[in-house]
Order: sequence, then C-alpha cells, then structure tokens
Amino acid sequence: MATETLTIGKALNTGLRRAMERDDKVILMGEDIGKLGGVFRITDGLQKDFGEERVIDTPLAEAGIVGTAIGLALRGYRPVCEIQFDGFVYPAYDQIVCQVAKFRYRSRGNVTLPMVIRIPFGGGIGAVEHHSESPEAYFAHTAGLKVVSCSSPEDAHFMIQQAIASDDPVIFFEPKRRYWEKGPVDTSLGLDAAAPLHSSRVVRPGTDATIVAYGPMVKTSLDAATAAAEDGRSLEVIDLRSLSPLDMGPVYDSVRRTGRLVVVHEAPGNIGLGAEISARVTEECFYSLEAPVLRVTGYNTPYPASRLEEEYLPDLDRVLDAVDRSFGW
Amino acid sequence: MAHPAPPLVVARADLAALLFIRHFETALLELFAQGRVAGTTHTCLGQEYIPVALAPLLAGDHVFSNHRGHGHYLARYDDPAGLLAEIMGRAGGVCGGVGGSQHLWRPDYLSTGVQGQSVPVAAGVALHLQQSGRGQLAAAFVGDGTFGEGAVYEGLNLAALWRLPLVLFVENNGIAQSTPTDRQLAGTIAGRAAAFGIAYAGVDTDDVGEIRSAVGPLLAAVRDGGGPLIVEFRTRRLGPHSKGDDSRTPAELAALRSADWYARTRALDPVTFDEIDERQRARMAAVLADVANREPAGQWAGTQWAAA
Repeated sequence: MATETLTIGKALNTGLRRAMERDDKVILMGEDIGKLGGVFRITDGLQKDFGEERVIDTPLAEAGIVGTAIGLALRGYRPVCEIQFDGFVYPAYDQIVCQVAKFRYRSRGNVTLPMVIRIPFGGGIGAVEHHSESPEAYFAHTAGLKVVSCSSPEDAHFMIQQAIASDDPVIFFEPKRRYWEKGPVDTSLGLDAAAPLHSSRVVRPGTDATIVAYGPMVKTSLDAATAAAEDGRSLEVIDLRSLSPLDMGPVYDSVRRTGRLVVVHEAPGNIGLGAEISARVTEECFYSLEAPVLRVTGYNTPYPASRLEEEYLPDLDRVLDAVDRSFGW
Repeated sequence: MAHPAPPLVVARADLAALLFIRHFETALLELFAQGRVAGTTHTCLGQEYIPVALAPLLAGDHVFSNHRGHGHYLARYDDPAGLLAEIMGRAGGVCGGVGGSQHLWRPDYLSTGVQGQSVPVAAGVALHLQQSGRGQLAAAFVGDGTFGEGAVYEGLNLAALWRLPLVLFVENNGIAQSTPTDRQLAGTIAGRAAAFGIAYAGVDTDDVGEIRSAVGPLLAAVRDGGGPLIVEFRTRRLGPHSKGDDSRTPAELAALRSADWYARTRALDPVTFDEIDERQRARMAAVLADVANREPAGQWAGTQWAAA
C-alpha cells in the first residue's frame, strides 16, 4: 500500500504521469499546458519531465487541437487534449461530433480513435458563463463517444488512465470546483485494481431513497445524505461515473429497494441526462416506484453571472427539498 | 475565368485515367437521374486532370479528400468497383457501404464532406510524418469555398508554426455550390498563404505533364522540411454542384465546356483518343454491370464499442 492524500487535481496529474510512463505514444496537447501546467495546473511538471514533443503547447485553436489529435490518433498515438474551460469546447464540436465520434462506424471498426478530451466543467468558482457550463449532454447524446466524469481523487487518478487506455474516444469531464477536494489514493495500484471505467457505483448505501449524481454534484448529494440522516432518512447515493454508456444496473437495483429516485446535475434539466435516467428507470422499475422520478438541475437559462450562481447551482437544500417531495407522494 | 486552351499532349495511361473518371462521373449522374442511387453526389467533371496529374506524385503519402472526391480516389486506387459499390450500397464497397460518396477511408486516405474539417486532421498526420522522418507528406484537397471555414486557418497556423509537411491542393473552380468565388471570398488564396508565410503556387494549365513538372519540385521541398505548401489550381466545374442545382447561365456553362480538356485533347489525335475513350466507356459499363448485380452491402452493428 502506498496510500497518499491527494486533491482531485493532483490525482489527475499523477494519473496522466502514469499513463505517459506506461506508453510513450501518449501525448498531451492544449493551451498553456506546458510551462504553465494548465490553468488549473493539472499538467504541472509534465512538460519538464516528458519534453515539449509529448506535452505540446498549442495555439488558441480548439478545432485545430482536436483535429490534430485525430490525425495523431490515426497514426497510432494516444493524444490527450485539454480544453481549457467547458465553454471553449464548442469550436471543436464539429471535429468531435463529425469526426471523432464517427471514425469507428465509418471504417466498420477498422479505425478506432484512442484519444481523450479533458474538459473541466461546471460552475461554483465565481467565473463567467463560458467558464462554468455543463455541456456533457451534447456529447452523451452523440453515438460513438464515451463520456465519463470523476468525482473523487481516487477515481480521477484511475479513470484518466483508463480513459487513455481505451481504444475508443473518451470525453473526460473534470469537476473543476472540486479540483481542490482531498481524498486517499493508493497510487501503487495498477489499473486492474480499479473498477471498470464504464461502471456506476454506490458511494453511500441507504434504504429510503436513491440519489443519482455525477461529477461535482456527488459531493453535494453526499452532503445532503448526511443532513438527511440527521432527520432519520437513509439516502443511497450513486455516482454514475460513466455518462455514456450508462451503467444503470446499480441504479435499478437501488430503486427497486428504495422506491424513490432523485437525479441531480448542474446542467439545465431540459432534455438532459436526468430525463434519460428518469425514462429508463420508469421503463425498468415502474412497479417499484413509490413516487415519480424527480430532477434537481440547473435552470433552463444560460449560466448566470457569478453573483447569481448560488441561486442557479443545485445545492444541499434543493436536493433535500426534492427528497421531501418524493416522500410527499 | 479565362484559361489558355492549347491542345493537350497526354500520355496514353493518363488519358485513360482522365477518360475513365469522366465516364464514371457521367454514369453516376445518370444513375441518380434513373433513381438507381439514393442520397446525393458531387462530381468532378472538368477537374479530372488534377488528381490524375498528382496521383503519381503522392504515391506514398496520406491523402485527405473532400465532398468532390471521386476523382481523387479513382486516380489513386485501381478500385472503381469498390467506389461504385460504396456509393450504391452494394457488396464490396470501400467502407462496406457505411461511408458512401463522401466518407471514404483507407489506411492512407480519408475523405469528409464537411468543408475544412480535414485540414487540422491532416496537420496531425503531418506532425507524425514529420517525426517519423521518412519524407512523407499529408495532402488535403479543398475547394475555394472551403476558405470560408475557420478550421482551415487553425490548421494552417499549426502547420506553418510547426513547419509541417502539409500540402493543400486547392481546386478553385470559381464557384462554391451556387455562389461565385468573388461573392464568397475576400482577398486571394495567395494572399492567405503569404499571411501565414506558407509557400504558394498557382496553376492555370490543365496539362498533366506540365502540372507534374511544376508541382513535383515543390513537393520535394515540403518533404525536405521546407514547411507547408498551398497549390491553387484554377479549374472548371462542368457539372452541377450536386445534381440539377447549377445556378450558372447556359452561356457560362458553354464557355466552360468549350475550354474543357476533352475536346482539345481529342482534336490532337482523334483516332487514338476515340479508341481509348471507347475502351474506358466500356470499362465503366462493365464496372457498373458488375456492381449493380451485387447483393446489398451487409449490415454492420456500428454502435458496438471497440472495448468494454
């Protein structure tokens, strides 16, 4: 055992380092990721140790970065692109949706693109709207992309390595407001000790209602479960981890026991992941449900100015309110 | 657009390639008109000489094609049945019928119909080819209309910055779908190359041999680490953008047809020309008869993941 206490940011850094040590075809690309180590320092020190040819500072050109990464992936590399902020991924959307997602299909499986696009996402850091968005549903909606999000240092460390090892393209959403959250990570373990990348996980067992969340909302949901326990309610919290493909088995198992489900995400609720999860649970667990599946989400507006984001972001109170409403049925 | 129109001296093999592409594209438009092919297509009628001239110069390189790409494929690979089957959704297509006219893939060949999308991808391939140091290059065919797209400039900036072995072959046919170039492109393509510090050459001839003589040394410089290159062919699109959507006047089209390589080449030696022409026409008919009688392309479960 070599358990260390790491932040999510540092755990991503150690995961990237492991992946680069393991495979010299792993190349990092992005804006200011070299000498600076990225805006959030996720790639801190990697250019110094692996050189400018493997940790590439690019121009401000998201379509160029992702497009170039496609070319490299076609030639046997495993590029990892950093998109500096969620709102900067849109210029690369064409490349991701029209090319990255479709290569495997168009080539009848002859070509896979083993590339990762890392996107710090979500609000809560007092920034402008294009530094605070949650665009995951755009990508989860697109066949041919795998989409994941980590919520803990342990998952950050292992999931980024698993994403890089995947032969399919992975959009990797990092909960930027949680980069500084700390937790134990056994960095001596190999990938075979980690849970499969595309598996959801019960992160707090409970018996009365189920909360499903991912990324930054996992902590919010756990806090809500702690508060609910003081009121005598036992909430089970599930971290989805994989947004596409979804691993619904643990969710169904939980809902069949609790009969109540609240889905929590920062992204607007309209046509969001919560709607998909609600539909699937209704299809699979209809006779187990004691109440409709409820959603706690961002509002159907553009992300607000930072002085208003506390109003916008789902928080402990809104989660508990939804739980109350579920029990009111 | 004015073109010098001297008689053309074309080697037999090149003439055969030119004529085969002409007949392939003509047959394709007929198939659409007969309702025998679904979807859409974009033919390169009038522009056939560009890929025919370039094909032997790019033999070991990585080529990126676009929506008007049948000539690029036919000049590079002796696989007309594979292309026709792909377009018609019959067994034996290049991509098993899932790519169609505009999305072809082979290990060193890739096409996409979205304008400009290939340029940054070609830059990524060029980055690898630069590092592997074997003198290969990445070449992308684009049109004049493509220069409206931002991805082109992101790719060119990267290529110039990193001195990548990337070549853009611009087939400037004077019209982007229905919009004349002077209504959709400010400045010039040469000016854009100059702004990036990228080598540039304009080509006005449609003489296959002359093109090879002019472009060959430029590609050698790219292979030697000279950085990216833009070659602009001022050419003619004889057919519609797609099918039946030509916005040009009959007079404009007549002027383009009178400048076409076909009649000028025939005038030089009608007997030889007709002999080769007839052979290629028959070859196309045989390809069509073969492909049209094939079974539909098989189903492919494209939603499966590569790895669990």
